Amino acid sequence: MRKVFLVVERDVRLFFQYKAMVIMRAIWFVSQIAFFGLIASRMVVIADYFRYYVGGLATMTLYSAAVFIGFDIYEEAEHGVFEYLLSLPVTRRELVLGRSIGGGLRAFIYVGALICISLYVIGVANPLNFILALFSLFLFAFGVSGMSITLAVAIKSSDRFDILMGVLDALMVRLSTAMYPLNIVKEANPFYGWIANFNPLTYASDLFRWGAGVEAVLTFENPLLPLLGIVLFFAFFTFVGIVLYDKRIEGGGWQ
Amino acid sequence: MRQIINLLEHDFRNFFRYKWWLAGLISMNLADLFIMAIVYNRMLTPEITQQIKSYFNFFAPGLTVTGLFASAFMIGREVNMERRREIHQYMLSLPMSRWELAIGRVLSGGLRGMVYMSPLLATCFILVGFPSPAQFSIILLVLFFLAMGISGLSIAIAVSTSSLDKFITARGLVYYLLFFCSSVFYPFSLIQQLGQEGRFPMALVTFARINPLSNASDIIRSFLLGNPPFSLDMVVSVLVFSALFTFSAAFAYIKLIERA
Repeated sequence: MRKVFLVVERDVRLFFQYKAMVIMRAIWFVSQIAFFGLIASRMVVIADYFRYYVGGLATMTLYSAAVFIGFDIYEEAEHGVFEYLLSLPVTRRELVLGRSIGGGLRAFIYVGALICISLYVIGVANPLNFILALFSLFLFAFGVSGMSITLAVAIKSSDRFDILMGVLDALMVRLSTAMYPLNIVKEANPFYGWIANFNPLTYASDLFRWGAGVEAVLTFENPLLPLLGIVLFFAFFTFVGIVLYDKRIEGGGWQ
Repeated sequence: MRQIINLLEHDFRNFFRYKWWLAGLISMNLADLFIMAIVYNRMLTPEITQQIKSYFNFFAPGLTVTGLFASAFMIGREVNMERRREIHQYMLSLPMSRWELAIGRVLSGGLRGMVYMSPLLATCFILVGFPSPAQFSIILLVLFFLAMGISGLSIAIAVSTSSLDKFITARGLVYYLLFFCSSVFYPFSLIQQLGQEGRFPMALVTFARINPLSNASDIIRSFLLGNPPFSLDMVVSVLVFSALFTFSAAFAYIKLIERA
């Protein structure tokens, strides 16, 4: 277990070396609230859209920060750090478990500050609900980080990974309730609505809003359903990530 | 002139090396149009619906301009990388004058933006409507000057920042200020309204009005949708931005690259 913690610690330290990425994400977050959120809330009929949007923005940022672990893996492969990691007295499973937890944890630490800004804007109605929502965001961050690791080691090509993550990001965010309520997505296009219904970002956004008390337009009546969705997402990608990382980590072949 | 053409060839070859990145960018742009714009269409207030009719049609010209912006800005990343890896010494040793080098870089950044933007503009015409030949010429001319200005702006930032971190941070600031404080995503009347209510600083309202991204999007909208009405001020605003950044970037490129 101590070895897993060492891997986690290394990944968290590594993240905060990317100062530009950290600063840029923060600028993006603040400008989205100050400009897009404020102005778009005047354009739409959704009640309290500004608070609704800020809630979704926090989960969008968490998603994009958690995905970053995959890019780290390519960076390590390119600079030969991978061989060094393999030579450490840590089992493959400890290594991948540590990386998955580290990837999620660092995203959570980073987004923690931004979540505080969100809470300042939207407030917290029920602290108990909020703790449950935070727990689900925690699992969501681990799941996304596991997904990023799984895809990175499955593809082994930084170009393909780059485009896949770009496309996935575009589709995950837009086909979810991060920016708009599910009933509107369904009205606009039933197929989009069907996908949004199973999107983990929908679950995370709705749970965060539920926790913060922005309950005007929630997708699910029972918060346990999205929580279950997130637990399944987390379990699937952590497990698949461990198995795949274990099998494909050796033998090179990185492009 | 031949040297500038050689430089264009060099930069275009580099541009197409990023084919994966370009494919990702196009897919994100299309997702914005075919998912986000379609959903927002359903959420508009009656007043906004009366003003812009359809968000999809309103957003398509804005998306073309943001695509142009992102691709024309890419030249800055390359110039910054050349500076960090000291490839600029090699560039300076090439048999061409400093001005040819500087103008060639700004021009290639702008032309690359135009190439990337073309399919987005064609999609916009097919989905929203076609302009008359005269209007089409004005749109192309305005977008070309805008692309030159953006390319100049990115080169100016690239040569004045010593590390990739600083370049990316400065780029982020410029990106988000120009994107979100403009009429690309929402009608200018909303920004004006927030300014009048005191919820938005008037300086930002003025910035949104003179923002070249606002003006370029509104020029396309005025020709394709008839709203907002076309005014010569829009063209002048883009031309001033372009002239200012093309020449100041060329000057900064020559001065700073020699000093680096």
